[in-house]
Amino acid sequence: MKVDNYKLIIFSMDKKVSKIIVDRNLCIGAASCVIAACDVFELDAENKAVIKLKNNIKNSGPAERPNLEGDAVKDADIVAAAQSCPTKAITLIAEDGSNIYP
Amino acid sequence: MQENIKYLIVGGGVAGTTAAEIIRSVDKDGSIAIVSDELYRLYSRIMLSKPNFFLEKIPFDNVWLKTDDWYKKNNIEFINGKKAVSIDVTNKTITLNDDKTIKYEKLLLAIGSSTRAWEAPGANKKGVFYLRTLDDAKKIIAEVKTAKEAVCVGGGFVSFEMCDMLKMAGIDVTLVLRESHYWEPLLDEPSGRIIEEALKKGGVKIILNSETKEILGGEKVESIVLNNGRTIPCQIIIAGIGVCCQLEQIKSSGIQTNRGILANEYLETNITDIYTAGDCAEFKDVILGESVQLGNWVNAQMQGKIAGGNMTGKKDPFKMVSFYTTQGFGITIAFVGDVRPSADRSIITRGSFEIGSYGRIIIKDGEIIGATLINRTQELWTISKLIEKDFKIAGHETELSNPDCKLQELIK
Repeated sequence: MKVDNYKLIIFSMDKKVSKIIVDRNLCIGAASCVIAACDVFELDAENKAVIKLKNNIKNSGPAERPNLEGDAVKDADIVAAAQSCPTKAITLIAEDGSNIYP
Repeated sequence: MQENIKYLIVGGGVAGTTAAEIIRSVDKDGSIAIVSDELYRLYSRIMLSKPNFFLEKIPFDNVWLKTDDWYKKNNIEFINGKKAVSIDVTNKTITLNDDKTIKYEKLLLAIGSSTRAWEAPGANKKGVFYLRTLDDAKKIIAEVKTAKEAVCVGGGFVSFEMCDMLKMAGIDVTLVLRESHYWEPLLDEPSGRIIEEALKKGGVKIILNSETKEILGGEKVESIVLNNGRTIPCQIIIAGIGVCCQLEQIKSSGIQTNRGILANEYLETNITDIYTAGDCAEFKDVILGESVQLGNWVNAQMQGKIAGGNMTGKKDPFKMVSFYTTQGFGITIAFVGDVRPSADRSIITRGSFEIGSYGRIIIKDGEIIGATLINRTQELWTISKLIEKDFKIAGHETELSNPDCKLQELIK
């Protein structure tokens, strides 16, 4: 059975995700981002979300889109991950430098 | 005076607010109103028990998940500080505690759950706290600044997080549990002992097999007396004695209830045009094939999305493997799927108390339905996928019980 409730995006996006940042002070390790976009996020030893980058690098960002390990990930999944965060710890930046989320 | 609202939502938490957001994205003009018995706009209830928030290490304003003008901008009427006191399902109206009546076309009941009232003598004294709302949190934050000794009563996620916060605040903490190990019977003894060891190492005193006899003091709490006669001085008591749904009015209106409000997989109740979502929803879980009620953030948020969409005319079933995680005292705890113990379930364990990492995979009818993970949160995603895929465990028992075996291999 396919579970796709996480793919529901509330508002349509007209901008592309260019940069991802996790605020470690806000992150509570709820893991909703991991479930929504497991190719992009995982929890580290401190139970904080980190971004999976190429060459097995993992950190809280800022992470540039082309450096993501899973570079084929859809923007919709990344936005769904950010939207699902109960503490708004994930910030997404567009190519023009504006905030996509929150 | 009667107001007409197309989409009426009772409950201003994450389920209700997310539903309103989804409805507005589909129906640009239909009137939407949210009735909330709290004064505040949507805030992160899950953040309330987290030490960074409590100890004011992050700015207080991070608790808000919507700006003050979000409701107006989205043309959502926010009726705050009001309680819905009755529902008339025939005339499709609800009445608020200020006697105002609202007629609805579609109604969402996202009323959440409330803390159980504590019956212990003296439980009404100042210094006894429950943690459910932002007002509760504000009171505890203020009290933590001067208190020297605190007692947490009851196990569970919130109690664990409160012990962590209180210790970080430099307060002497005693945890009183009725059970013989932490989180019995949801967790087995080795799981409970790992948690207890972590708490003890962190300086928390634990008293097992004990109940509160009474709370002593004048207007304010001065000590707690246990049924074995032991007295513990304290200025703060945090009662983590569980939650329940207030369903009297709902039941008497003809909406079917059990422990929660009963709903099918579309989050529809037995009454046409009435939906439910979040902690109060006891819904038909299509993955587990049974009715369940869950009290966690992601579940409430996702149910809000589905219920909101269905109120606009969609027909999407709610399908999600639920989960909750926490960390503190150097350990992580995660629950995924259905973790309730019962006779029709068997358990495969991986890891042990000795190695300090221990998972329990819960099996029903040859499939994984849930797991409890201590210091194994990294397996959360994989196990949720195995649950979702109806993975058959037959022939894989050895891999599942070997803590070093990478579970990802089973998904391929």
